Amino acid sequence: MSNPDQNEKKQECQNQRECMEMLQLILDGEASPDQKEHFLMHHLEDCIPCYKNYHLELTVRELLKTNCTGQAPQELIDSIKAKVIPNFLSR
Amino acid sequence: MDHMELEESPKQQYSDKEKENIFNNEFMPHINSMYNFAYRLTLDQDDSKDLVQDTYLKAYRFIDSFQQGTNAKAWLFRILKNSFINDYRKKSKEPSKVDYQEVESYYNSEEVDRQITPDLRVEALKDMIGDEISNALNALDVDFRTVIILCDLEGFKYDEMAKILDIPIGTVRSRLHRARNLLKEKLSEYAKQMGYKNA
Ligand SMILES: [Zn+2]
Repeated sequence: MSNPDQNEKKQECQNQRECMEMLQLILDGEASPDQKEHFLMHHLEDCIPCYKNYHLELTVRELLKTNCTGQAPQELIDSIKAKVIPNFLSR
Repeated sequence: MDHMELEESPKQQYSDKEKENIFNNEFMPHINSMYNFAYRLTLDQDDSKDLVQDTYLKAYRFIDSFQQGTNAKAWLFRILKNSFINDYRKKSKEPSKVDYQEVESYYNSEEVDRQITPDLRVEALKDMIGDEISNALNALDVDFRTVIILCDLEGFKYDEMAKILDIPIGTVRSRLHRARNLLKEKLSEYAKQMGYKNA
């Protein structure tokens, strides 16, 4: 990441709501390549609030993925198999 | 889940061998995601086991309604979500905090436009241990929790989420937007508490 030159960058975003929506579209993989390029290559480089929001959103998503997923208990897997598999053999 | 929903797609006629193959190779690989979804919905380990087991038994029973080559994970998630609404939500200990009509009108109101920018920083987030994130997610109302799980944990696309939840894509987007703001508000509360501790 390049060190932002505070003088050339916008301290406030003029289109915060639209930007936030675009940012989410991009992170959700729903933006078109053009939208993505325009926002990431042009807007994000110049707009400090959007740059910060982007990294905040990324971090929240990473933390969710690492902390809020888990494994099904083996007893559950065994129990489902025990109930369903006999059906394959019974006919 | 009523039978109509599972029978709306054209019926297949799978052989026993094909059924076994679909069940083992297309349904069972999603067991961890399914369990996690059930757990985040019910917030109870026993309920989530029952819910997942019920869902898999239904999936087997209605396997002829599943078209091979379509998204098995989305199909299973939809059955689980409907089972949750029909069988678990009513008896859930969690009080029903959200009046559905009220929520929908809220999404469509100007309130959504209000840009909530919680005073939350990446550095504060990185100091959190996993429990805070998990608790923040669990503290959201179930409708908001659900869209975050589907999108951020499971990687479903908006159109897939719309089908799983039986809501328009526009509602998926606005609900996600609101859910993420609420989650960040929660996290920023935790960050403040941590700040007091460190001070
Ligand atoms: Zn901006």
